[in-house]
Amino acid sequence: MAVAAAASKADGQLDRRALGRALSRIANTSVEEALDGMRETAGGASRIGITGPPGAGKSTLIGRLARQRLDSGAAVAVVAIDPTSPHTHGAILGDRIRMDGVADDPRLFIRSLASRGANDGLADNIADVLATLDGYPFDEVILETVGVGQAEYAVRALVDTLVLVLIPESGDQVQAMKAGTLEMADIYVVNKADLPGAERIASEIRAVARLRRRLTSDWEPPVIMTAADRPDDIAALHDAISRHLAFARASRNIDEVRRLRREYHVKSLLMRTVTDILAENPRAVDCSPREAFELVVARLRERRR
Amino acid sequence: MSTLKGKRILIAKPGLDGHDIGAKIIALALRDAGAEVIYTGLRKTPGFIARVAVDEDVDAVGLSLLSGSHKELVAETMQELRSLDASDIPVFVGGTIPAEDRAALTEAGVIGIFTAEMRLDDVVAEVARVLVPVRAA
Ligand code: B12
Ligand SMILES: Nc1nc2c(ncn2[C@@H]2O[C@H](COP(=O)(O)OP(=O)(O)OP(=O)(O)O)[C@@H](O)[C@H]2O)c(=O)[nH]1
Ligand SMILES: [Mg+2]
Repeated sequence: MAVAAAASKADGQLDRRALGRALSRIANTSVEEALDGMRETAGGASRIGITGPPGAGKSTLIGRLARQRLDSGAAVAVVAIDPTSPHTHGAILGDRIRMDGVADDPRLFIRSLASRGANDGLADNIADVLATLDGYPFDEVILETVGVGQAEYAVRALVDTLVLVLIPESGDQVQAMKAGTLEMADIYVVNKADLPGAERIASEIRAVARLRRRLTSDWEPPVIMTAADRPDDIAALHDAISRHLAFARASRNIDEVRRLRREYHVKSLLMRTVTDILAENPRAVDCSPREAFELVVARLRERRR
Repeated sequence: MSTLKGKRILIAKPGLDGHDIGAKIIALALRDAGAEVIYTGLRKTPGFIARVAVDEDVDAVGLSLLSGSHKELVAETMQELRSLDASDIPVFVGGTIPAEDRAALTEAGVIGIFTAEMRLDDVVAEVARVLVPVRAA
């Protein structure tokens, strides 16, 4: 499962066919194969995570943002995740169509993924997908999570800069998110600022941001109000991302970043295995919790032999 | 159920054709059969459709055509796929395809032609038959 050697064609052009296929192979990797191929990352492309509730405008903003970052000279890839139905296993991968305006720009590489078994806002094998992109000549990868609620912030471990997109209607969510996703972001966006209520939610978030600054770091997360159609707002977001990427590069402890990414990777493979085991043994939980637990642990051991 | 699990399918609308009801119905039907479906939206060029098929590395492309220009647009899309080293990606066609044009499209390499007279279940079953290798029992 090594990174494809032929990252680009002889003429230096990105080999999109090879990259497209490499990403499918990685996305379809079993846990067993993934364990053997596990790679360390950090040091490849800068990673920008865009998360937030369903319909907040993540894809629309990414479309505008990608255009701006391409124009500033960066080679950009977008990875966008949409939810898989747990019942049919099907998915409509609808993020690309929202990235209008830039989706037909041949400079941009967009890959849509279904979450499949993952229920943390990401997709199965996402760590390896991102690691694979590190083997290709991208300066930046923008990762769109599934529309999330209060607690799906696994993306934090995988990106350098995390942008949380909220909307005026998210008012009540800000309260609920205080102990979860809200604490994780580096940049807050109140999108759909053309709708009423944006200023009120922005000031609530500013209060959270100030508190965070006091508690933890040298970075005070900016709160940016955007309407996707206002170029100045997109420019402000673009600048904030550039500033945070520079800050993260200068201040992060690379060993710690690697450790967190490895931890996410191992945890997600374990979760997937446990989910599979429970699906294969639907009667496993018909006993006491302790017995069910022991059964799963035993099955886990068997798999490793 | 879930016969198309893990299959990635691009549903695309080439040309100036603004009829999208059939394309959307097919996208949802394939999703409900377990496929991961990407829809391009209306009025895309064959070049764009081929590039998305390659970037997304789909298992099949389904072109929805109700404009009457199916012969030209199918030929162009196949040509664009070839130029991107992706002629191995199977192409389906659906929409208003008169019986007398079917042979020409099949000749051009299209592996399935679907019209509004067919039952949705049969359309999905036929797509699955082509895309999912039958496992030896
Ligand atoms: C509804 C309709 C419209 C609506 C479209 C609304 C919309 N958002 O889609 C409106 C009113 C806007 C419209 C406008 C026009 N229309 Co009109 N329209 C129709 C009509 C009556 C029904 C189409 C439809 O939605 N059917 C229902 C869906 C579910 O069926 P379907 O699209 O065929 O899809 C099924 C199958 O074909 C197949 N399928 C389709 N795509 C795919 C893809 C894959 C991969 C697969 C596997 C299967 C598959 O599965 C689907 C489900 O069973 C047809 C007549 C007809 N009988 O088809 C004319 C028709 C398509 N229109 C026609 C024309 C000419 C026009 C106009 C140019 C002007 C006019 N004279 O009315 C404009 C131009 C619009 C444009 N910009 O392209 C002609 C096209 C002639 C041709 N093909 O040569 C038709 C055939 C009418 C006719 N007999 O003249 N139209
Ligand atoms: N009024 C207004 N609508 C917007 C704005 N940005 C996006 N939208 C609309 O919001 C809807 C959802 O946008 P998306 O970009 O698909 O949102 P998303 O967060 O990616 O959605 P999911 O991926 O489904 O979670 C679309 O109809 C957009 O047109 C904005 O600034 N103002
Ligand atoms: Mg989206």
